[in-house]
Amino acid sequence: MKQLNKNWKGIGLFLLPAGVLYSLFFIIPLGFVFYVSLQSWNGISAMEFIGLTNYRNLFQNPTFILGIRNNFIWAMALAFIQVPLAALIAMILTRKPRGWRFLRTVYFLPNVISQVAIAMLWISIYNAEYGAINQFLTMIGLEDLTQNWLGQIETALPAVIIQQVLYIGYFMIILLAATMSIPESFYEAAQLDGANVFQQDWYITLPMIKSIMVVCMTLAISYGLRHFEATFLMTNGGPANSTMVMGLHLYRRTSSLDYGQANAVGTTLILVGGTIIVVIRRLFSRRDKAADAVQ
Amino acid sequence: MRLNKTVAILLGVLLLAPALLIAGGGQQAAPEQREIVLNWPTIWVGQDAKATVVEQLVNEFNQANAGQIRINMQPSPDYDGYRDLINTSIAAGQVPDLFVFNVDPTQFQYYDGDLLMDFTDDLKGPWGNRFVDGAIQASTRNGRVKSVPFESALTPIWYNTALFERAGISQFPTTNAGFWEAAEKLKAAGIVPMSHMTGGTNAWTSMLWYSHIVANIGGPDVWSKPLSDPVFVQAAEILLRMYQDGNTTRDAVGADAGVSGGHYQAQNTAMFINGPWYIGNIRTNSPEAYANTRLAAFPGPGNYQGGQIGFLLSNLAAANTNDPARRAAVIKFMQWMTEPANVARLSLDSGALFTIRFDIPPGTEVDPLQQMFLEINSSATFIAEHFQANFPADVVAEFGQALGSMALGRSTPQQFIAQIRAAAGQ
Repeated sequence: MKQLNKNWKGIGLFLLPAGVLYSLFFIIPLGFVFYVSLQSWNGISAMEFIGLTNYRNLFQNPTFILGIRNNFIWAMALAFIQVPLAALIAMILTRKPRGWRFLRTVYFLPNVISQVAIAMLWISIYNAEYGAINQFLTMIGLEDLTQNWLGQIETALPAVIIQQVLYIGYFMIILLAATMSIPESFYEAAQLDGANVFQQDWYITLPMIKSIMVVCMTLAISYGLRHFEATFLMTNGGPANSTMVMGLHLYRRTSSLDYGQANAVGTTLILVGGTIIVVIRRLFSRRDKAADAVQ
Repeated sequence: MRLNKTVAILLGVLLLAPALLIAGGGQQAAPEQREIVLNWPTIWVGQDAKATVVEQLVNEFNQANAGQIRINMQPSPDYDGYRDLINTSIAAGQVPDLFVFNVDPTQFQYYDGDLLMDFTDDLKGPWGNRFVDGAIQASTRNGRVKSVPFESALTPIWYNTALFERAGISQFPTTNAGFWEAAEKLKAAGIVPMSHMTGGTNAWTSMLWYSHIVANIGGPDVWSKPLSDPVFVQAAEILLRMYQDGNTTRDAVGADAGVSGGHYQAQNTAMFINGPWYIGNIRTNSPEAYANTRLAAFPGPGNYQGGQIGFLLSNLAAANTNDPARRAAVIKFMQWMTEPANVARLSLDSGALFTIRFDIPPGTEVDPLQQMFLEINSSATFIAEHFQANFPADVVAEFGQALGSMALGRSTPQQFIAQIRAAAGQ
């Protein structure tokens, strides 16, 4: 600690560039977002301070509440379906089955394709009149199950989420790097003890990649909470606002030149996201401490 | 390890250098500019029917004013993206030198403050005489004209004569009973009567159908009435019927303008609504549907027959400036774009309608569908605006959501209107 105190000027100098940039491009804009959220402002006339009116209006708006709920569903679906699915594929590919390099590329490929192109593709797949899903259902004699997938309140949200959940490539690559770094000797020892493949993955792979899983889940939750693109492109929040998300609500307020309320949405989004991520991380770290104590 | 102070300071300066360079970049003195360059982020590029002639006009203007004025077009081919670009630029106080905006209550907020160039006095002279009656008035707020009326629109009902004939209908119905009878005949012949949509930012096609119905029941001044007026619920009941019993396509709920227009172009649907700017698109992509298209008024159950939905579509605007030379350059370009001969070229090539009077040069072959637009415009018993022209963007967005809910049987026509009223704060 004494050494640290002696070098504070040097340390400060090293931290300064990052601090300046962080302040310029994050802290100050964040402060401005909060400041504008307390104003009535159309971006053209002078701002007028209105206190918490924008927040009160926001939380009295059922569409916005629906948006929070849907963002939460998005976050949970990505964290607890997409990430485990990615972990499963990563564990399979770690065993290097035939063609595993090709499969790794195939799974990752959608992550380098534009989100717009993917959304357009899925709009066609889901189309009620000529979409591939309905065509397939008709072909196998299940015409009764055909739907207007993006136009029904019951199916629109799951349809948009599913198309996103299937693209596991990003998390798979991260988890694959983690699984591949586990020493082979662990598995060899387990094999000598008679453990089968499932036991090896359950007792060795999963505990070893747990911290990376938590990172992936945190990333997935943060993405789910700020999700916007696919919903905007595929349903624009419809039908009947059933796929509304906070980001889209913010976009609509901005399009209406209601920057005060748009920034109130932005502030809420940051607060809700931050709170959920802190809670999740605390939960995992508590479990880790409990597990350490047992051991 | 003890940190060498000199090395630490040097490293610190090195790390700070990029940030200092970025911060200082804007302070470099701009080279002296003799030529006035006006940047024009524009939507009239790419697939837009006006793109070719707009580019020609800009090139001709630049050649005629070489070394003095140069218009620098900045393509922005997505309509929503363009609107966002203009909104955010203006909010940041960086008004584009030249731009185009859709005429609606949200965009008219640009008139607040002194960000836009004021053309009020300029348009009082001979320049103002070029415009059709009411166009300048429609672009006036608080006595000031801060944008130049340019493109106008008429959105009649398009119908496919070949499909009507296949269903045994020889002419477009002129009564409401006849309209629904025709819909039944079309369905019996395996043809979907109408294109509809709840998607996009404004549920465009259905919003126009609704505007036709509302105008038919409520007359030309219907939008001056509050949404609590019964006319709006009555119109919603008819709109709902259009979504029921196979009167529209199965994918109408959630569909966007591409789907709605696509069904008409593919001759899956017999009726559709859009403006003249769509002529270029359908002529190129679906020549058969284009050749079979005729235009009509909606024969609703109301007392106001023969009306059309028409509105000011887009205005030209410019950033305000204290530089007289720059202001003169902007006005020179605006006058060039609104030159009747140039507007004639634009209109005849794209099919679009404009707020500027022009003569069609003798011997010029006018697109037959555009000719029909001109005829139906002059024969309309009245012209009313559409829903979108009377409500801010968030209310227009809510129209599609409320319509989706009603079409799916989740709400009644009364609840449909209540949802829109709530969004509009009425």
